[in-house]
Amino acid sequence: MSAQDDRNPLTVVSPRSRRRKLQGRLMELLASFAALVAIVVLLVVIFSVAKRGLPAVNADLFTQVAAPFGVEGGGIKNAIVGTLIMTAMATAMAVPIGVLLAIFDTEFAPPQVSVAIRMTLNVLAGVPTIVIGIFIFGLVVVSNGQSAFAASIALAIIILPVIARATEEVLLLVPSTLREGSMALGATRARTVVSVILPSAFGGIVTATIVGVARAAGETAPILFTSSIFANAVVTDPSQPMASMPFAIFTNSESPSHHDQQVAWAAALLLMAFVLLGSITGRLLSLRTRRQIEQMR
Amino acid sequence: MEMNGMQRVTKTAAVAMGLAIVALAAACGSSGSSGSSSGSGGSTSTVLTGAGSTLVAPLISQWEPDYAKSAGITITYGAVGSGGGIDAITNRTVDFGASDAPLSSDQATACKSCLQIPWALAATVVTYNVKGVPDKLKLTGPVLAAIFSGSITSWNDSQIASLNPGVNLPSTHITPIYRSDGSGDSFVFTSYLSAVSSDWKSKIGASTQPAFPTGQGAEKNSGVAAAVQATDGAIGYVAVSYIAADSLNEALLQNAAGNYPEPTTKGITAAADAVTTIQPDGSVPLVNPPASAADAYPMSTYSYAIIPQTSPKAKQLKAFLTYAIGPTGQAFGPPLGFPPLPSAIVAHSKTVIAKITT
Amino acid sequence: MTTTNLDPSSIPLPTRRRPRIGETGLRALTAATALLLVAIMALLVYETARQAWPSIQEFGLGFITSDQWNVVTGQFGALNFIIGTLLTSVVALVIAVPMAIAIGLFLSELAPRVLRTPVGLMVELLAAIPSVVLGLWGILVMGPFLAEHVEPWLSDHLGFIPLFSGYPSSQGVLPACVVLSIMVVPIVASISRELFLSVPGELKQGAMALGATRWEMVRSVMLPYVSGGLVASTMLGFGRAVGEAIAVTQVIGGANAISRSLFPPGDTMASRIAAQYAGTATSLQRSSLAYLAVLLLIISLITNIAAQLISGRLQRRLGGEA
Repeated sequence: MSAQDDRNPLTVVSPRSRRRKLQGRLMELLASFAALVAIVVLLVVIFSVAKRGLPAVNADLFTQVAAPFGVEGGGIKNAIVGTLIMTAMATAMAVPIGVLLAIFDTEFAPPQVSVAIRMTLNVLAGVPTIVIGIFIFGLVVVSNGQSAFAASIALAIIILPVIARATEEVLLLVPSTLREGSMALGATRARTVVSVILPSAFGGIVTATIVGVARAAGETAPILFTSSIFANAVVTDPSQPMASMPFAIFTNSESPSHHDQQVAWAAALLLMAFVLLGSITGRLLSLRTRRQIEQMR
Repeated sequence: MEMNGMQRVTKTAAVAMGLAIVALAAACGSSGSSGSSSGSGGSTSTVLTGAGSTLVAPLISQWEPDYAKSAGITITYGAVGSGGGIDAITNRTVDFGASDAPLSSDQATACKSCLQIPWALAATVVTYNVKGVPDKLKLTGPVLAAIFSGSITSWNDSQIASLNPGVNLPSTHITPIYRSDGSGDSFVFTSYLSAVSSDWKSKIGASTQPAFPTGQGAEKNSGVAAAVQATDGAIGYVAVSYIAADSLNEALLQNAAGNYPEPTTKGITAAADAVTTIQPDGSVPLVNPPASAADAYPMSTYSYAIIPQTSPKAKQLKAFLTYAIGPTGQAFGPPLGFPPLPSAIVAHSKTVIAKITT
Repeated sequence: MTTTNLDPSSIPLPTRRRPRIGETGLRALTAATALLLVAIMALLVYETARQAWPSIQEFGLGFITSDQWNVVTGQFGALNFIIGTLLTSVVALVIAVPMAIAIGLFLSELAPRVLRTPVGLMVELLAAIPSVVLGLWGILVMGPFLAEHVEPWLSDHLGFIPLFSGYPSSQGVLPACVVLSIMVVPIVASISRELFLSVPGELKQGAMALGATRWEMVRSVMLPYVSGGLVASTMLGFGRAVGEAIAVTQVIGGANAISRSLFPPGDTMASRIAAQYAGTATSLQRSSLAYLAVLLLIISLITNIAAQLISGRLQRRLGGEA
């Protein structure tokens, strides 16, 4: 910045301009400081979780279920399995619907409908997850009991806007020359979408899925009312309620037992590592997809 | 060309509507059929699901493996609090509920002929954590009511000091900790306070979810124990098993006879022996027994299994309940602080169990 | 000269009169998902309102102004929790928004290019931390830290302000505010960064050419240019803070009364639902919690739609430039 000043013949070095420069530097420092604070907080949280969680990550965590009352020990085997199954089910429901929704929005819908859909997606994304939990509780649990399936439906609703919006973004990136070329060769709209657009957007859809999975794995509120009374054993039947990692963290975080708290930290570490890895991977993949699509122009 | 366009739009819309309706119907239908196994497994099911009281949860966790071994039935129990248990059994999302608080008349109506079966005997204990103050501090009911209503705010208040001469009480601020979820222990605690303080009875009353005017809320007995442990100056109430399990201090409450019995099986049994009348709804309230019971612990309570009178799993439920109130089940109690059920109550429970049908 | 119709799908196909089944099929299938979305939204509103209906009938709009929440007397009111929600969210915004705008500025203007992607990534990772993990950290690490070091200091030096009066407590409104601001920062920061990056270069260079320092350029050109968008992003952050249930319920201490101070326990609408919905003592209590959920829905709908309208208007003003 000072190099520019020296070259600029219009710069007059006066006390007033020195004060302005100082003011500028001060504000820039404050802005940089703010960024630093954010990074420090992130690192503090990650470090706290790692420091307390790492010592507690042992074989027991993965091979045992919770110990009976008063007995020290136990792990989160059933919670890990439960989260894997519920996340898989939620993703299996949300990805096809989200991708089809995005296709409709970008390829087939008239402009006003497109805007309406985008608005609805944004609104759905803003609904508090606890309200979605109440919704699915009233719709599914009251008549059928708790189940991992009910929890998965709630999770799917939560990640649907995430996946649809991310897919939309990547579909819009596909250059119109590809579309027009395909149509000029006589292909129908549908054929164009299936054979030309989807393959080029595939990387973006994978990214959207990864981001959705990371999100679904970490949500607790929808599970509170749909899958909170479960057996203390590994359950694989989706019509039964299952333990889950966010719920295990939630219950253990409020426990007086030191061992339970350690299990909470360890579970938090695993969950956070999974979620952060998913987010980073999603980010890097989306950058790569963007570059690939740019090259197609 | 426009005709083709319009035809296309209408056809698209029609097919789309149809698909959407089919999809929604499929979703509702499949959740209807696949989720029903928790409610109706048929009489050959080997799983019994229950939910409720965190007070009785330690005992149930002892029953689970033992009963699985002897009867081959898996008990799945969710310790979500007595309120949650009553809720779950009312909605029939579980096979049995567990609550330390008997059903209120509204809850009984909503539950549609549910039976209350006493199957454990325990107590709620006042616990505290104050640096420098030893275990077994003495408190009376009115003082406790004053603490939880916010009139007494420091540990060195004269009302507490006069009960405990010789104890060096610091000036630490008192933080009352209560249950924020629907809790049988809250019901027992506030029933006791209502019995000994007319002020409390008129202002706050007894409930599984009373409106405590001051302090901090925590979920489940484990949450209260954790909060008390973590806060200097805290006072709260937990089920008796949690005192030993988490090495918590216990306060001694003055009973109607003027004594300060400890919440051991002896004190709880004395209370159970003093109150033998079974109420019309099947409950036996044990709080604040009369002065004739000199050694009775004043915040004792039965814990009840809440069972629908007609259930597809009647056979399994009856077998499990009989096991629970029988000598095998009750033998797990004393190490956890639960004295065995008095024989009169066992007989009563047996007659109620006999009423369960498919 | 024949005019060429440029829409490829309107060129009549030489051999087919009607579109293929696949064409209609895909159109219909994707349209069905759109209808499904609308159905989900409608069902959501309907089901929540249905659960709340008994309470709405019983209390009407007085629910919003009543500070009672008493199972024994059957009186329920949302006032304490509305105040709690507003208090925690506003304080969180006060902490988070200036910081986030500064971060957005840092990432778009001030940071060396090498740092922009990694730092940006780290700020976004804050958003990826599951709320239950933040709550765990809040209960066991941050809350006690606040109670032992920060709150006594605030009480000693700023205790004359009602916000900082009272006894330090490891569970309370202040830890909830901290946790919420951690959640709000990444939302506002990433939108701010996009907004700052969208400021046309000519405007920025014009100011610099007139002799402004970089900060003066930011203050007089960039900030006014993006102010509407910043308002929209703040509203989105507000919506996020209002709706958070899990982390808040873990650290806020679930109290019934509301206090003017940030130190003692309190409660918010979302947090109360999370704490009490699973095991209500009466059906009126359950309906009242659903009524709280209806209020939450309304707040989130309003803030969300307002944010979208503001940013939509902004985009039109900019002539549709991305």
